[in-house]
Amino acid sequence: MDPEVTIEYENVHKRFDTPVLSGVNLSVMRGETVSILGTSGTGKSVLLKTTIGLITPDRGDVRIDGESVYHSTRLGLRDLRRTVRYVFQYAALFDSLNIYENVAMGLDPAEIKTLDPQVMLDRIAASLVNVNLEPAKVLSKLPAELSGGMRKRVGLARAIVGEPRIILYDEPVTGLDPVNSATVNRLIMSIAERTKVTSIVVTHDVEGALEMSHRVALLDNGTLRFIGTPDEFRRSEDPLVMAFADRRAAAEAALKLIEHDAYDDNDAGPAHAISIGVRA
Amino acid sequence: MGFARHVGQISVLTVRIVMAVGQGGVSLKSVFAQAYEQGIGSLPLVLVTAVLSGIVTSQQGGYQFSSSIPLYVLGSVVASSVVLELGPVMTAFVLIGRVGARITAEIGTMAVSEQVDALISLGRDPVPYLAAPRVIAGMIVTPILVGVANAVGVLTGLVSARATMGLGPEGFLYGARLYWHSWDLFYSLAKAFVFGFTIPVISVHMGLITHGGAEGVGRNTTTSVVFMIITVLVVDATFPPLFLN
Ligand SMILES: Nc1ncnc2c1ncn2[C@@H]1O[C@H](COP(=O)(O)OP(=O)(O)O)[C@@H](O)[C@H]1O
Ligand SMILES: [Mg+2]
Repeated sequence: MDPEVTIEYENVHKRFDTPVLSGVNLSVMRGETVSILGTSGTGKSVLLKTTIGLITPDRGDVRIDGESVYHSTRLGLRDLRRTVRYVFQYAALFDSLNIYENVAMGLDPAEIKTLDPQVMLDRIAASLVNVNLEPAKVLSKLPAELSGGMRKRVGLARAIVGEPRIILYDEPVTGLDPVNSATVNRLIMSIAERTKVTSIVVTHDVEGALEMSHRVALLDNGTLRFIGTPDEFRRSEDPLVMAFADRRAAAEAALKLIEHDAYDDNDAGPAHAISIGVRA
Repeated sequence: MGFARHVGQISVLTVRIVMAVGQGGVSLKSVFAQAYEQGIGSLPLVLVTAVLSGIVTSQQGGYQFSSSIPLYVLGSVVASSVVLELGPVMTAFVLIGRVGARITAEIGTMAVSEQVDALISLGRDPVPYLAAPRVIAGMIVTPILVGVANAVGVLTGLVSARATMGLGPEGFLYGARLYWHSWDLFYSLAKAFVFGFTIPVISVHMGLITHGGAEGVGRNTTTSVVFMIITVLVVDATFPPLFLN
């Protein structure tokens, strides 16, 4: 194994009622940021979830630092999970816990028992400051009392408080206004720079992805149709990549795909492909 | 999803709850919080149903009495109907509506909003965190509620018999004692214990497997309630052949 490879997807297959992933191969290097693009319902979240065993592939394997997530003991899996944090699409904050308790969940349970309460509070406050939230204002609030953008940032704070080596982001800016999107994108970049964390970012924000990533991948029909640097992405002749990269091409390619009836998008339909392209 | 699969998954969940308890991974604080919610929260409705059960059996029984049967037998009819049947079953129905549906909706919402995934990804097992406290609380609280329902049901039966049938408390209690087996109370509480386990374990299971957004939560809550009602009725029907012969 290449010592630089941190996350390795090998021939990952998963089907629910229909095939979702049919042979995904990807190696993510230490400290690298890889963005994954793809229309809704193509299995981006499913792929991210296979990384930490939330969804088990039917076939194939995922390895973190050379250790299989699926051929690992329960304890091994728990150790793996400790080094990986997942930022959920809608933050997935615990409704019944306040912000302090939510962020504290990002710490290792064993560590919480030994940590001095003041030190713990300082760490939680520091991670909130890192995501541009004022600890004094939010700590005792419940998630329902915060705006969507603030909740997403609390989700980020919960992910970074335990100092993971890998962060998986599931649509971190979807549904946010442009200002909040830019803020969150910048946070992802600064977290990556500061902590040398390895990141995978699933996103519909093509501009943001091209700006923050070392490499960009496009998931389509169960496999990674494209994987390359942002420059390679911009120069690609692949019509679907062009649809994502450029708005004129987007409209044309999407229309062509509709004509050929090649688009089998289970939640949004072809119109969605156009809207993604136009946003880009 | 097939019935056998539900049964299989509930069995696995049960084993994992037992293991979580064995490993000391369940926080007493959350068990108490759940017990308080389930117990104190359900008490008013349990009391109302118990009062009505007592009145109804007393009236119904009295109505069917003919002059050839001594009136004090009514005491026995009320006591055994309430203790053997109505106390546990009516309480179980209250708990299905108040506790079971709520658990499925709550955990189902956590599942569809990825809070359950988040819990797992943060190294916390949902079994000791979510499932075990609710199930243990149910097993503690339900026999207590049924005990209260039994007492209140018999007592209102007594009052009602006096008010409408003219059967005094001495007669009522005489009748109640005449046919009373100490086994009856044990039987009643054993039923309660089984209900106290099955209601939360089914509702937790149905919550954990929820997917498909708000619609999924609604669908699973309904299915969960149906499962719980059927299970309570089946358990109730298997108790007499198993224990009353
Ligand atoms: N737990 C599950 N059970 C059944 N189907 C699922 C499950 N998770 C995802 N799917 C299906 O897999 C497909 C891909 O979903 P997802 O990965 O969420 O798409 P996206 O690329 O938008 O993140 C969808 O059709 C979805 O319905
Ligand atoms: Mg998704």
